[in-house]
Amino acid sequence: MTSSPFILGLGAVLAVALGFLVDQPYFASVVAYGLVLGIFSLGLGLTLGRMGYVTFGHAAFFGLGAYAVALVCVASGWSYWLVLPLSLVPGIALGVLVGFVSARLGGAYFAIATLTTAEILRLVAANWIELTRGPMGILVPVGPLPWQEALGWNPAQAYLSLLIAVAAVVLALVHNLNRSPLGRAWVAVREAPDLAESLGIPTVRARVWNVALSGAVAGLAGALVLPKIFVVTPDLFGVANSATGLLAAILGGKASLLGPLLGGLVFAVLPEALRFVDAARLAIFAVILLVVVRLLPGGIVSLMPARLRPRNRAPRPDGSAPALFAAASTAATLLEVRGLRKSFAGVTATQDVSFSVRRGELVGLIGPNGAGKTTCFSQLSGFLAPDAGEIVFDGASVLGQAPHRIAARGMVRTFQHAALARNLTVYENVLTATHLALPESVLASALRLPGLRRREAARAQLALACLAALDLGARADEMAQDLPYGEQKLLAIAMALAARPRLLLLDEPAAGLNQVEAARLAEVLRGLQHAGLTMVVVDHNLKMMMAICDRIVVLHHGALIAAGTPAEVREHPEVVQAYLGEAGA
Amino acid sequence: MVDILLQQIANGLSVGMGYALVALGLTLIFGVLHVINFSHGETFMLGGLLTLIATTTLGLPYLAALPLAGLGGAVLGWGVNRIAVRPLLARRDGGADVLLATFAVSILIHQAVVMLWGPAPARIDGVPGTFELGPVVLTGQRLFVLAAGLALLVALEWMLRRTRFGVELRAVAQSQFAARVVGIDVDRVNGATFGIAAVVAALGGALLSPVILYSSSMGQVVIIKAFVVVVIGGMGSVSGAVACGLLVGLLEAVLGLVAGEGVATAVIYSLLLAMLLIRPQGLTGKRAR
Repeated sequence: MTSSPFILGLGAVLAVALGFLVDQPYFASVVAYGLVLGIFSLGLGLTLGRMGYVTFGHAAFFGLGAYAVALVCVASGWSYWLVLPLSLVPGIALGVLVGFVSARLGGAYFAIATLTTAEILRLVAANWIELTRGPMGILVPVGPLPWQEALGWNPAQAYLSLLIAVAAVVLALVHNLNRSPLGRAWVAVREAPDLAESLGIPTVRARVWNVALSGAVAGLAGALVLPKIFVVTPDLFGVANSATGLLAAILGGKASLLGPLLGGLVFAVLPEALRFVDAARLAIFAVILLVVVRLLPGGIVSLMPARLRPRNRAPRPDGSAPALFAAASTAATLLEVRGLRKSFAGVTATQDVSFSVRRGELVGLIGPNGAGKTTCFSQLSGFLAPDAGEIVFDGASVLGQAPHRIAARGMVRTFQHAALARNLTVYENVLTATHLALPESVLASALRLPGLRRREAARAQLALACLAALDLGARADEMAQDLPYGEQKLLAIAMALAARPRLLLLDEPAAGLNQVEAARLAEVLRGLQHAGLTMVVVDHNLKMMMAICDRIVVLHHGALIAAGTPAEVREHPEVVQAYLGEAGA
Repeated sequence: MVDILLQQIANGLSVGMGYALVALGLTLIFGVLHVINFSHGETFMLGGLLTLIATTTLGLPYLAALPLAGLGGAVLGWGVNRIAVRPLLARRDGGADVLLATFAVSILIHQAVVMLWGPAPARIDGVPGTFELGPVVLTGQRLFVLAAGLALLVALEWMLRRTRFGVELRAVAQSQFAARVVGIDVDRVNGATFGIAAVVAALGGALLSPVILYSSSMGQVVIIKAFVVVVIGGMGSVSGAVACGLLVGLLEAVLGLVAGEGVATAVIYSLLLAMLLIRPQGLTGKRAR
């Protein structure tokens, strides 16, 4: 994998070398403009590539960055170069707003919201004459860069070398973010939002951060275009700008690192090379976009053979043997459920269900289809709000908390359907699930600080340990979607373990498994219980449940009808009746 | 002042009827195919352009131009569906890819019209005459927009409720899978839905262009307003689209009177963001999850 010091080093060398070499102002400014577009699409690619959100209005961030710098420059009289870094701020602020408004709703809404935001800003810029001088625009004086005269460069040379350096820095930061826990969280949220949430990933916050960082980069790009255009006008917010950034990101390959930068360069050079078709520029862009979406959805980069693409390979175990799950507290009762009630439009799903789980226990939750077992899990894990009742986990109520908060408290659930990020490897999936293990700041992620490297190594070892606990170590570098079904279900448990649960809620782990796989699963669950993990298991495989559970709780039509040891429950008349019907009536 | 206000309300309602017709197709396609057709605004624009060509170059009377615009809309809808929607629907990222492909198509249509016909706005003579209702004076065209729009809506409602195709359409909207199981040709229903939406949008353009002036960018403007209407009315809701279309037209006219056109448009657009923040499922929509 490319490392960020390599990117930065190469950027520095190129900035100096090309600064000297490209002394033709025309060429220098064309390449510089390509880099501006490239930086813009790098920012756009953060939302499009990571989150899969289409945007038709990223020019909102671009234009806002330009206007903010222009306004501050004119009002304060400070040098443009000094004010330039300020362009990050409005992008972040607008990103938080747009991200919060739309990102939780998903793709189409994001496209609409960004487009509308860009149009609102365009209208404001065009109509608030006292502030922006309207369509006339604001003239921004751009002085020479400090090192320009010392090196005997013309302004275009200095501008180009600065842009190469900035592009390298942005590229390195984006690269760092993508392989940080936050970057992995973005992919998890895109592929399986509920699973991500159940593993303790705060999905809304991850999405808002994504849009905010994307906005910051796009805003910076907008401010960087000033030395080329000198005047900021409302057109900066226009659809043409948004479309160009989008096209560059898609053409280059939205999911790749370098793709958007290359795409930006192509879209700056192409119109220059094809001067004679200048009028048809946008139309040609549109045809390219249509062809790429129809025939080459992964962009140019997808032409590269799959095995050459970077994969985060599993490292070797370093023998550190990390603790698999957080030590349970001293409380004897880990989970206390009282009077849980939930109904959907008149249908009662759970009806005053009360039970408790002691520390170290393996409790089975059984009942015929439609008994309310999964609904019960969904309420415990925060995905469904109960109509009434009390859920006390480890001495404190978790009622009304978001699923990721409950996961962070130590109650982690799995899903009936093994919902995984299918196009990641087994190891990458479990690594993503270590999100809760050690908290990480966005700053440490972007700068890849030494502390983060240390914690990443620890997370990697935890992921390996979780895979080893489920005997999946040999499968680490295989694609998750290529695993046989039985092992996919084990992978789901490995991911839940990586979230370091104190109480694990397993929803039908044996469903669809053959006998051999079910036996393997029973062994795994026994092993986990021996290691001290508390579990609640929902399953229809009664033979396995009777064999492994300490206690069994039986639900029928949403109500609890029996609870006790497997032997007691088996003899319970109501349970027999629920499963076999009215015997001998 | 009250007189001017009443006048603006009447004007706003007629423009709102045009918005409703565009938003209706957008929401119908979303309800049935679960995708957003970004090029929908350009169909509206094409309806206006065809009316302009028919009434000036061909010298036809305005009313004869309407079927032509509807036909043009149908052809365009068929083409967009074939090129940018149907082949992408089955993909895992189908929704996003359709959005991108129809975005590309919308740029293409707009650029093609600008290059072949020019960007200059043009006046179209609609239904002549004026009618006085107390202090309010309505042009014949505005009255015609309201009447024809209402007739279109009634016809659509009848089709959705009373015809076999309408039942099939609503079945596909509820569940493509179940519709397929009972033998409904989902591809055909999808295509027909697309066609109907396009015809209605083109007719909207033909009706409204004499009121608001034809221009090559009228599609780009109307599509955002249609988004506002659809988000406020609830994505996928037909009655919501109609009610909010009228409401947005009304609000725009009244605000324009008070604060000027630019500010009015900005406020209308902001309503979309506010709605997404407060009630993302729209006024009529059910809360999802």
